Amino acid sequence: MMVRRITGIVGTVLLTLALLGPGVSAGAAKYTILLSMKGPGSGNPFWAAVERGARDTAKALGVNLVVLAPPAETDVQAQIGQIEDQIAKRVSAIVVAPTDVSALNTTFDKARAQKIPVLFVDTDGTWRSKLTFIGTDNRAGGVLGGKFLCGAFKGKGDVAIITGVMTTQSIRSRVEGARAAMKSCGLRVVAELPANSDRALGQQVMEDILTSKPTVKGIFAANDLMALGAAEAVTSRGKTGKVLIVGFDAIPEAAQAILSGTMAASVAQSPYNMGKFGVQNALRALTKKSVAKRIDTGTVLVTKKNAAEYAK
Amino acid sequence: MQLEGAPSAKAAIVRRLAPSHAAVGRFGLILVMALMMAILTILQPAYFLTRENLTNIARQISSNAILALGEFAVIVTAGIDLSVGSVMGLSMIVLALAVHADWAAGLAALAALCAGLGVGLINGLALTRLHLPHPFIATLATLNIARGATYLLSGGVPISGIPRAVRLWGAEDITLFGGTSFPIDFPISFLIVIALYFAVWVFLTKTSTGRHIYAIGGSPKAAQYAGINISRNLTLVYALSGALAGVAGVLLAGRVNSGYPTAGTGAELDAIAAVIIGGASFFGGRGTAGGVFIGAVIMGLLRNGLNLMNVSVFWQQVLLGFIILLAVYLDVLRRRAMRLEG
Repeated sequence: MMVRRITGIVGTVLLTLALLGPGVSAGAAKYTILLSMKGPGSGNPFWAAVERGARDTAKALGVNLVVLAPPAETDVQAQIGQIEDQIAKRVSAIVVAPTDVSALNTTFDKARAQKIPVLFVDTDGTWRSKLTFIGTDNRAGGVLGGKFLCGAFKGKGDVAIITGVMTTQSIRSRVEGARAAMKSCGLRVVAELPANSDRALGQQVMEDILTSKPTVKGIFAANDLMALGAAEAVTSRGKTGKVLIVGFDAIPEAAQAILSGTMAASVAQSPYNMGKFGVQNALRALTKKSVAKRIDTGTVLVTKKNAAEYAK
Repeated sequence: MQLEGAPSAKAAIVRRLAPSHAAVGRFGLILVMALMMAILTILQPAYFLTRENLTNIARQISSNAILALGEFAVIVTAGIDLSVGSVMGLSMIVLALAVHADWAAGLAALAALCAGLGVGLINGLALTRLHLPHPFIATLATLNIARGATYLLSGGVPISGIPRAVRLWGAEDITLFGGTSFPIDFPISFLIVIALYFAVWVFLTKTSTGRHIYAIGGSPKAAQYAGINISRNLTLVYALSGALAGVAGVLLAGRVNSGYPTAGTGAELDAIAAVIIGGASFFGGRGTAGGVFIGAVIMGLLRNGLNLMNVSVFWQQVLLGFIILLAVYLDVLRRRAMRLEG
């Protein structure tokens, strides 16, 4: 009788879950595309936007979409397991934001063996047989941020750059773009200091800049966390508005800082386009149409004019 | 149920019922596993029982199963090893660095194993020589030390490219019964898992050292009076756990063809979950290697099944929690039955 009770519990739990699961799709669509993200959409606005872009597009194009993500962006094994299990189910195409640039390569080899095309979004991987990489052109974004400071100061004066984790390619490209844009319009980059993409370090570095380089009137920070830290330092010195701070990512808190005037601008990526272009191009590949090797999802300069859109 | 009769009659009935209760405890786990497989077969008839999917599951659970095996040996002594996930990551990076320094594949794997063994020894010695109050503390320290070392050694970036001689342990299949009419392609990593579980089972139940380890967990005082060298045995158990985490790292590195610094983050909790689901007692002295094996398989089935049904990982976590509760409840039932029996 205890056996029956235990059997009952396990059975009920599993069956409830099976019913809760969104997977039982009855669509007659010919293709099923897997979107494997680095992190779950709930709780992270960036991944939520990627997911929304993919879902809207899949609906419009009439393909099935399966969205899966590991519980944390560091959980490489969970992502491998999810993708392998979906390959076993023979999804038609895989759109993936890999949790590691190379650890999933053997998994993608398995997809290739089944002739399943693999498209990278957001983060490029080292896998050689990828169909395309769809993501932000970070250098172009850096140029956008740099040009904003050029325009604000009419190409004259001292500026500084707060860099992030320089082993990260995206951060390096942003800095390169901003540096090139500011130099070519005549601004002088008098300092380039690392703050590890961390908010507290950004604040500390900004304090040092204010002390050692008082002529600096513009800052490009390679992400918003550092920019917000820098804004904090500028505010506590009573220099709000005298030093213009440009960040990157346009996270909601940075958009609010732009609205309140403690930050001047930020550069937004388009996660929605990553999901949208991912599904669009997966379908192109499945219907034997050509797909470009590199697809830019675009960047947008966020200033007081449009910050309200990003502030929620 | 007329149990209000004479005490002797009640005892007789209890005695008659008790063995079946104990059987629930013993076979309950296998039952849960079989039930999960049956349900998955019904829900995913086209995919679950395919060879591809079953070998996927076998490979996916290999590293957790091996971490759980080491964790089990520690938990039998009423201890805990929080460092296994970090140690697995460390051994992966050591392996990747060694092969990139052009070490022979076997030597590189040995270095990875020694890295695991070394951290395990530190855990054991910190507990027995430095007399740190609880293994939670020593292994919490090495969790951080090993993870930090992993980031330092790798510079925070993945090191990819493992030679095939190492990769095949984690990624490839071996053909069993090749000469017969039933050849089976079997994942090598899972074969290693089975061999290790068998070896540890023999060690813990058939050797005097193994029985001492159970005795230490059951009652340290009694073990001491019986003249068992507690320090030596504890050090041995933690070293074993570290070495097994090293093996898990070699298999995982082979599977993903790289060493990445975040590997194994939080894996210690999965290992502990497998041990608990497998019926080992957190207070030491009880549990079997076979039970832990089934515990690891149950976790693998759960993940695989929910992945096949496209269920979000959050549900997987919720359900894993329920399975842990259920498994421990099962254990409580068994113990109650055994008390009645006694």
